[in-house]
Amino acid sequence: MYLLVVFAPLLGALTSGFFGRKIGEKGAGIFSSACLILSLSWSALIFYETTLNSSTTYIKLWRWLDSDLLTTYFGLQFDSLTATMLIVVTSISTLVHIFSTAYMDGDPHLPRFMSYLSLFTFFMILLVTSDNYPQLFIGWEGVGLCSYLLINFWLTRIEANKAAIKAMLVNRVGDIGLVLAMFTIWEEFGSLDFSSVFNAAAVAAEGPSTESHITLICLFLFIGAVGKSAQLGLHTWLPDAMEGPTPVSALIHAATMVTAGVFLLIRSAPLLELAPLALMVVTVVGSMTAFFTATIGLVQNDLKKVIAYSTCSQLGYMVVACGISHYSISLFHLMNHAFFKALLFLSAGSVIHAMADEQDMRKMGGLIKSTPFTYTMMAIGSLSLMGFPYLTGFYSKDLILELAYDQYYLAFAHWLVVFSALLTAFYSIRLIYLTFIADTSSKKEVFMQAHEGSWNLTLPLVLLALGSIFVGYLTKEVLWSFQATLPPIIPISIKLLPVIFSLLGATSAFVLYHCSTRAFSVPTPAISLASYAFLYSAWQFNYIINYFLVRNVWGLGHLISYRVLDKGVLELIGPKGISDRMIQLTQGISNLQSGLVFNYALIILIGAAVFIWGTVWPLY
Amino acid sequence: MYYKYIIVAILLLLLGVLGIVLNRGHLIIMLMSIELILLAASFLFLINSVVIDLLIEQIFTIMILTVAAAESAIGLAILVAYYRIKGTIAVKSLNWLRG
Repeated sequence: MYLLVVFAPLLGALTSGFFGRKIGEKGAGIFSSACLILSLSWSALIFYETTLNSSTTYIKLWRWLDSDLLTTYFGLQFDSLTATMLIVVTSISTLVHIFSTAYMDGDPHLPRFMSYLSLFTFFMILLVTSDNYPQLFIGWEGVGLCSYLLINFWLTRIEANKAAIKAMLVNRVGDIGLVLAMFTIWEEFGSLDFSSVFNAAAVAAEGPSTESHITLICLFLFIGAVGKSAQLGLHTWLPDAMEGPTPVSALIHAATMVTAGVFLLIRSAPLLELAPLALMVVTVVGSMTAFFTATIGLVQNDLKKVIAYSTCSQLGYMVVACGISHYSISLFHLMNHAFFKALLFLSAGSVIHAMADEQDMRKMGGLIKSTPFTYTMMAIGSLSLMGFPYLTGFYSKDLILELAYDQYYLAFAHWLVVFSALLTAFYSIRLIYLTFIADTSSKKEVFMQAHEGSWNLTLPLVLLALGSIFVGYLTKEVLWSFQATLPPIIPISIKLLPVIFSLLGATSAFVLYHCSTRAFSVPTPAISLASYAFLYSAWQFNYIINYFLVRNVWGLGHLISYRVLDKGVLELIGPKGISDRMIQLTQGISNLQSGLVFNYALIILIGAAVFIWGTVWPLY
Repeated sequence: MYYKYIIVAILLLLLGVLGIVLNRGHLIIMLMSIELILLAASFLFLINSVVIDLLIEQIFTIMILTVAAAESAIGLAILVAYYRIKGTIAVKSLNWLRG
């Protein structure tokens, strides 16, 4: 049973991948979804057993890395963290599978798509269930690989190719961090199992010299998390990854891949606790990410990009929660976020489906009349994202803000995330307003044909909406119990602040868009246009990285390793230089034979003279 | 006391050598230079024969003269054959084969 939860998605992936031709498009969809449902039901049981009955399970499968200094088993570990992640991953993935059978209906490569989705889920489950770092790294690289395959699903589009390569390469930067962290952990503790490492770290922390090593380990781990979870600096791949189909965005960028970085931080919590400096870095980077991406989300016009930037922003919240040592709250927010973000992405998919593959919000509007169901779902998701009281997002998001205030030495982080809560509310309402409420600006024939999808498109939305409403309330006691968490004692005004800010942001967005289009035209001075362009281009991050880093590295690669080394030095002392020299030499020698008889005579005489000189002369 | 003869012989030999090397003109001159070298060599043999009082070198000289006669005969024959084909016996025209 424990193995089945891991390997059922693999079975689905292999079957629909290798035998997709045999079982057909419908069969691939049904079979892989069925495997996922199986996995989901078992993971619910695992949640019951490991979390509610608090019986952690370890399964050692076989010896894997086995040398003198390092023994690592291929093993599975089911504790409450893993069980929670399993619930999140399998439930979201199941719903995405069902959604894809409707959304991708008519695509000729549906079996391949379902295969990739299932393979992705398999690697994610492998990631969360592993009991050591190298096995986690298999899942880590596996989800990176599958994200490449999925973003690149429509492989004839050049944009999709570029986005997939970018996702792969930017992730690799973070992966180097994880690899370095593993090397350092092994060098420091001699083991890579979680249980051994954390115990050894707790013991070693008594000694004076190890603190800097543990800080180094945590910083390397954080670099890994930055790459995977799209934190500030390595976030540029996430918005570009919207080139993939919408269910892919829902799976990768809501529930699974980007949460892997946060999962790594939560899993390595015993190490992070020993490194206060690293925690400080984590908090600062997380809060800056939350704020920075929220400002970008304000002005994006692509429906999916708005949601992608809000994903970045929410990941910033989770990282802040890790940085202030409230790991279970981070996990709680991760879980809640998975539900409402998947709901938002799938609703966006529903909108795109209804609008005949139009993604630009400026070409939408008025959909509230033709697709009221999708509007309801999107509204539930957005309200939950804003942290509207008594919805799922409220229970985790506002708690993170309060806890951040409690860490008085990081007031910086608190105010950044509170302000980004305002921005979150603003762009959520902006999205709803432009898509559903504003006067339509879409083509007439598109607008006339806007419709709700079939049952397998709407059923996942309903289930996710239920999750977005109830999950936070239902599971809060369970998740708080992982780590002793008390809501902090802080002024009532600070407690109310996030809600007030959210409502303020929501109202101002509505008023601004509602009135500015009807009553008056907003004056646009140059500074606001410039700041709009600045925000729209994501603070020019891509430009800066491309101009100062990528271009220089590229040029250096061409100049040094291609022109100087490969085509220069190595060619000169290697094949080309030597052969050129030999040809030159033989040419010179054979030029001695000029064809003129008296030259031959001269050469013969000189040769004879030299011979006599050499043999006879030394005798004297 | 035979040094002056040896010197003359060596000078003759060098003259023949230089005649071959510096000759840009006709093949006949080259043949004549070769004859001169052979004669100089014979002369050296004879001087040595007198100096060390040994007859074998005079026998060598006679054989060299024979060889030289045969050689010049063949050489002139080649020359005539060559002249028939080319119509000239300039040394410079003998440059068809080159490396």
